Amino acid sequence: MTQTQRKALVVDDAATVRMYHTTLLGDAGFEVQEAANGLEAVEAALATGFDLFVVDVNMPKMNGYTCVETLRSETVGTPAPVVMISTEDRPGDADRAYAAGANLYLVKPVAPERLVRIARLLTSGPGVAA
Amino acid sequence: MGLVRRKAEPEQQPQAVSSDDLMRQLDDPDPEVRRVAALGLDGVAEAVDALLDRVAAEDAPTVRDAMLTTLAAHDTDRVAAGLAVHLASDDAELRTAAAEALSSMPISVPALVPRLLEDPDHDVRVMTAMVLADLPHPESLTWLAVMIKDDPHPNVVASAIDALLPSLGPEHTELLERAVRRFPDDPFLRFTVEAALR
Amino acid sequence: MTSAATGTGLTRADFEKFREYFYKRTGIQFSESKRYFVDKRIDNCVRSSGFDTFAGWFGALRLNDRPELLQELINQLTVNETYFLREDYQFDALLNAVLPQVLTARGGTGRIVGPVKILSLPCSTGEEPYSIALRLLEEWPHIDTVDVEIHGADIDSEVLARAGHASYGERSLQRVPKPWVAKYFTSVGAGRYQLDDGIRGAVTLHQINVCDTAAMRAFRDFDVVFCRNVLIYFDELSSRRAAENLYGAMRPGGYLFLGHSESMSRISPIFTPTRLPEGIVYQRPTGAK
Repeated sequence: MTQTQRKALVVDDAATVRMYHTTLLGDAGFEVQEAANGLEAVEAALATGFDLFVVDVNMPKMNGYTCVETLRSETVGTPAPVVMISTEDRPGDADRAYAAGANLYLVKPVAPERLVRIARLLTSGPGVAA
Repeated sequence: MGLVRRKAEPEQQPQAVSSDDLMRQLDDPDPEVRRVAALGLDGVAEAVDALLDRVAAEDAPTVRDAMLTTLAAHDTDRVAAGLAVHLASDDAELRTAAAEALSSMPISVPALVPRLLEDPDHDVRVMTAMVLADLPHPESLTWLAVMIKDDPHPNVVASAIDALLPSLGPEHTELLERAVRRFPDDPFLRFTVEAALR
Repeated sequence: MTSAATGTGLTRADFEKFREYFYKRTGIQFSESKRYFVDKRIDNCVRSSGFDTFAGWFGALRLNDRPELLQELINQLTVNETYFLREDYQFDALLNAVLPQVLTARGGTGRIVGPVKILSLPCSTGEEPYSIALRLLEEWPHIDTVDVEIHGADIDSEVLARAGHASYGERSLQRVPKPWVAKYFTSVGAGRYQLDDGIRGAVTLHQINVCDTAAMRAFRDFDVVFCRNVLIYFDELSSRRAAENLYGAMRPGGYLFLGHSESMSRISPIFTPTRLPEGIVYQRPTGAK
């Protein structure tokens, strides 16, 4: 392989969703790590660099918006692309996600090939994770 | 210099603050004063309404967390009902914090569940599955099974399957397979069920 | 068959359910390679709690009917031994990263108002606060110019009495460099060594329940708190309350160390995680919030 393997962090309190996104991204060639809430994602991002974050909205301890804000803040300061995926489709949710620093806000269910296409597109530049 | 022992002054016990004073301090402009007051109201039944009134509008996350810690320890119908309304909140912080608090209230939450399962807002029903996932109550599994069997929204069904996952047994196979048949176009649901049945 | 190897006959699905539960409850994740280790310890828990099957035990565990089930499980799955300089890398972090930052935040050496305050909670029989004292005295260059107060606290009066007596066996001291033992301990016979009065006298001991908000208000303005391997035993609400009480005991910007396998991510979002070369520590935010 000429390109180093891209690292993705899948953040969701639902074990089945983590499994699903991990399988999809893993099959697409990503090295995937998981976190079960926003705070755990922040700790994971402090410990190692990621090329992509896939983040749920409703999570205990730290929800997705606060998680993305923290990933973008000086606490972590990652420039890596963030895709938020939520069951919520109320007006204002997407705006909140973009204001927090997400690159894309998707509403579940997301077709598998669409998620993979987006993940590849967003990580097609030079990688940030060594 | 070096290691020093705390000065030999008498053990200064913090002055006891009355519940009335603590309740007044809930409106103090300093968030740290509000936070300490909210924590200090642990076990004070008269403070429940004051805390419920303020939790949604409180903008300091540490204060809100302290209010919810104190409220959740009052596992009463009044607190459960007062928190359950926030499952519908547009504020993600508040609705997830309310769900967390409710999931540690096994005495009072069960009475609310039948109504929550019928809530017209599917996002509220997703949050209800989140509450039931962690609620230490024997009926939780039954309610989750009802959601999987009957709920018209695939996201609710998926959340209920996830919540049921740690307790899944062979008796749930038929229930899960039927859920996939109800939503044949949902790839996530299919994946989840296949993974769960493996 | 694996079911013959483990008395409870844990299936792969059982193991997966258990693994997810324990991860959710404690943030600790066991890989598939730990399967044998985990199976054996679950087996011990199921037997000793009087259940015939994994399913019966796991059901009671999840419903939290008997809190002692979780306590025993955590005891089985984590190392729970206290000795001098345990998890020493955190004391490295204290000396190399945390204390320098505390001094900077407090205005630099020579300008610090009041002592730097360190709390060890739970301090058990004293090994942790005394380890901190030894490392500061032996290895921290500023100990001659900066006042440091060390406090130990525990809920258990019996362990506090032993902490005050500060007499330890060789096993507890095995990681302490020999010259330090010679310098700070006196042999009292039967393979036991007592810590000298100077250090014992410098560490203030308190009996306290970390979940008792009113009592915890006596603790204020700590620069550093070690709260290792205790929150993991608490239920959801107790661990939250304990975290909130610790927050109140700390100075804004103060540092909190948890145990090596613990994480605030399962307890409370009120602290800010910070990465040091030695691992993650938590800070009470300095902002107005």
